[in-house]
Amino acid sequence: MVGKRKREAAVVSRTTKVDEEEEKTTPQTETTDASATDVFRKFFEAQFQPLEVPGGQVTRGDESDEEDSEDEDFEEGSKSGSDWDGLSGEEDEAPVEVVEHRDIKSQDLLDKKARKAFMTSKPPSYSEEPKPAKKKAKKEKSDDDEEDAMDADNLKNDLALQRLLKESHLLESANELAPTGKNRIKALDLRMQELGAKASLYKQKMPTAHRRGIKEKAEMKEDRRRREAKENGIILEKPAPKSNPASTKRRERGVGGASIGKFAGGALNLSKRDVAAIQGPRRTTKGKGRGRGRR
Amino acid sequence: MASTSQPPLRFTSHKNFVYRLVFATLTGRTIQISQIRPSSPTNPGLAPHEISFLRLLESITNGSQMEISYTGTILVYKPGLITGSSPGVATSSGGVVRHELPAGCNRGVSYYLLPLCLLAPFSKAPIKVLFTGPGVITSSTPTGDMSVDSVRTAILPLYNQFGIFNNIELRILRRSNPGPNGRGGGGEVQLVFGHQLRLPKTLHLMNAGRIKKVRGVAYSVGVSASNNARMIETARGVLNPLVPDTYIFSDVSSAPLVPAPEKSNPSAKKKIGLGFGLSLVAESSTGCLFSADVASPPAGGEAPEDIGKRCAYQLLEAVSKGGCVAPAAVPTMLGLMTMGSEDVGRIQVGRDVIAEESTIQLARDLTKFGAPGWGLRDASGENENGDVIISVVGRGIGNVGRKVA
Repeated sequence: MVGKRKREAAVVSRTTKVDEEEEKTTPQTETTDASATDVFRKFFEAQFQPLEVPGGQVTRGDESDEEDSEDEDFEEGSKSGSDWDGLSGEEDEAPVEVVEHRDIKSQDLLDKKARKAFMTSKPPSYSEEPKPAKKKAKKEKSDDDEEDAMDADNLKNDLALQRLLKESHLLESANELAPTGKNRIKALDLRMQELGAKASLYKQKMPTAHRRGIKEKAEMKEDRRRREAKENGIILEKPAPKSNPASTKRRERGVGGASIGKFAGGALNLSKRDVAAIQGPRRTTKGKGRGRGRR
Repeated sequence: MASTSQPPLRFTSHKNFVYRLVFATLTGRTIQISQIRPSSPTNPGLAPHEISFLRLLESITNGSQMEISYTGTILVYKPGLITGSSPGVATSSGGVVRHELPAGCNRGVSYYLLPLCLLAPFSKAPIKVLFTGPGVITSSTPTGDMSVDSVRTAILPLYNQFGIFNNIELRILRRSNPGPNGRGGGGEVQLVFGHQLRLPKTLHLMNAGRIKKVRGVAYSVGVSASNNARMIETARGVLNPLVPDTYIFSDVSSAPLVPAPEKSNPSAKKKIGLGFGLSLVAESSTGCLFSADVASPPAGGEAPEDIGKRCAYQLLEAVSKGGCVAPAAVPTMLGLMTMGSEDVGRIQVGRDVIAEESTIQLARDLTKFGAPGWGLRDASGENENGDVIISVVGRGIGNVGRKVA
């Protein structure tokens, strides 16, 4: 029965009519002729070379694209050869009909897209090719697992790349990508800030004296470095411009502070303008003009 | 400008009128054009469309002066700065210059569009011009102007090769074929050219490639849409065996109305500019564009099949001339190359294209404006086909308005 199944699979591309006829013809031939031909064939093969059945071979040759190994093929071919002969005769009378399915809708859609792209007010960009719509997004379930794994992998690599890009300035000398020591802390700090940490690790709360000491030490170190470089005739980068935004900027007032005037020396001082603003626009005497009076 | 001390360049005759004015504006030289149709008994001097172009120049430049002699046969033009359509100019509303074309105009609107586009990259501000009025013909005309569709699909993409591609739009608000006797129309077209630069890129275009696709627009104004289908059918019949990737789009619109006041009815309007036409563009694999344009004659009496066939053959002819530039695009390409940086740009053109009268006139005019002469040599190598390579040295003037002091 193997032969029969195979043949049916091979004829799928034909019109259904042929299929039906084939099904009609095959059962009878199978029952009556199969055993007899089998016996003959075995006898013959024992004596001579294997048989070549012309009808079966030819049809098989041009129809099937999934042929198995050679000898198995042959066996099947010869086995079903007798019933296949009848069929091929019928085929000659009714030539194979090729039915082509073309999606008219999609063609139309493409037309519309092309029209939209061409008939705008902008000069058409000829170099760009219309991109085919993504059709094979989720076609086969079996591929999904692999894709998931790939996705996860890609995501991981992506994250690593992003981190590398962001923190590469920390890795001036280090060869390895995973920072250690001070650099690791710095990288960690960057990541935490990115995730929404309120303050940097380096802006910890500490006693003023302590902080001042740290600052002083840093300045001293920098001074020494510059001095030594100067003595040795090495030209260094220019010192970073000292910025003290706190002094130049207007200081933010507290919540409870006065919104008007200037608080100095324990007293709220109001300027003339402030007073005028509080008093509001002066009314005209009669109240005739409903709008704002002139000042 | 600084060129005041220089004597004006003298030209004669009305030929190549617009490009002379354009190059005068770009180089800042004063020009005098004399003998403009001196022997015409009925219409001596400047024609309505030329006057209209002068008005357009005046509205997009600042400080340009023009003097026209009593008979109109002599014009002195002293260019100003190309300011574009900055808001606050008298003729503009909302930064859009409104340019009305007179009813007697027999040139298509592309007559104004092509030189305007050549000026636009060197303007100070973006150029936005709305062409309206009873003289706007959007189709191709018997006077030899291309249709607006061809300007948009075959000329404007060329600017891309010079690094000019941003914010360029040509809106066809209303279509119109030429009116009776080929005069007037009621179309409306808006050009937005928003990419200004200092100097266009140097161009080296030596490989024409092979035609890979053909696109087109069939338009019918105030007549049945079946005309479009008939034109498309015949044009495709000619082109499809040669280029399978051929698409021609159809655009149908109603006839525009222009005011035609009568004694009894001062607000009367009439339909104008009925007809149909076809614009085809062929693109090669290297981005060279060739266009063809045929429209129904104003007198009528030509079948759409003939128009379609003629247009297809015209396209084939333009392609067969060879080179990388269609004849219609020569002034644009060579003009931009001349205005480019002081570097040698090369372009391959067909022998027939360079032999055209307009091309030679352009070359003569450019040399008069002080551009170094073109270097010509036969193309060699695999894609010669008897073509000529023109080497153009840029003048390095570019955009005066964008010069950093």
